[in-house]
Amino acid sequence: MDENNTDMDENSTESVGDEIQSTPIDNDAKAVNIGSGVRVDGRIEGAETSDISGTLTGTLKSSNININSKGAFSGDMSGQEITISGSVDGEINSEDYLIVNNSANIKGVIEYASLQVSYGARIQGTLRHRGSVQSYSPVSTDEVKEDETNESHEGDQ
Amino acid sequence: MALFGSSEKKPEVKTEFMFDTESTINQSTLAKDIKINGSLESTDYLDFSGHLTGTLKSSTINLKPGSYVKGTITADTITVEGEVDGDIQAKDIYIKSTAKIKGNIRYQNIDIQNGSIINADLFYSS
Repeated sequence: MDENNTDMDENSTESVGDEIQSTPIDNDAKAVNIGSGVRVDGRIEGAETSDISGTLTGTLKSSNININSKGAFSGDMSGQEITISGSVDGEINSEDYLIVNNSANIKGVIEYASLQVSYGARIQGTLRHRGSVQSYSPVSTDEVKEDETNESHEGDQ
Repeated sequence: MALFGSSEKKPEVKTEFMFDTESTINQSTLAKDIKINGSLESTDYLDFSGHLTGTLKSSTINLKPGSYVKGTITADTITVEGEVDGDIQAKDIYIKSTAKIKGNIRYQNIDIQNGSIINADLFYSS
């Protein structure tokens, strides 16, 4: 931190503002930052950390996701470590841990491995624990039977 | 504003009250080896460690680790440390790390601890 400060001072004493602006700043951290008041519509993939304080509609794939208290997300998100303090409408898929803070408002389907919800948070929807054997199957038994018969026919041929 | 300020001191909170053995709160405890088929109702405070198939209703319910309830639970405040298969309806729900819940949860305030296994539909109502 100290080194950075001294560098900054050196640059400012040289007073060549144009040169500083022309040097491109690479974001190698794979960081996404959507500030409050900013609206984004689309698909984000391959991000390492995503900080959302604005409005994001679409798909978000990032290792770390933070939906801050002013942030709003609608769509599908998946990541390892997800923290929700704002509002989410859609699907949340967390491979590692999901933290829902008391200011959060979530509507939709949540798939999680480890979940922590603070008193006061609003969640409307379905919770699914990853790794749990689901006793209810989305396919009706009739359809399964049909599939089985089809397979047996194929086997005959 | 200050002219009309009350000179009365705020009542001090007596911590002993919370542990008052002569309090009017009815507290029931049901041990591990109890198995119930049917309905269990209590007006105040219920510590449940047993197995129940049916309906459970009380003001405050503590489902202890190892407890199992299959059916419907209605309470003002419920703390779940055991296993539930069915519907839970409560104003305040505290789900602890040892809890395992399957079914529907209707709540006003919910608090979920890390480690719990929940496969359920959540319904928030104000």
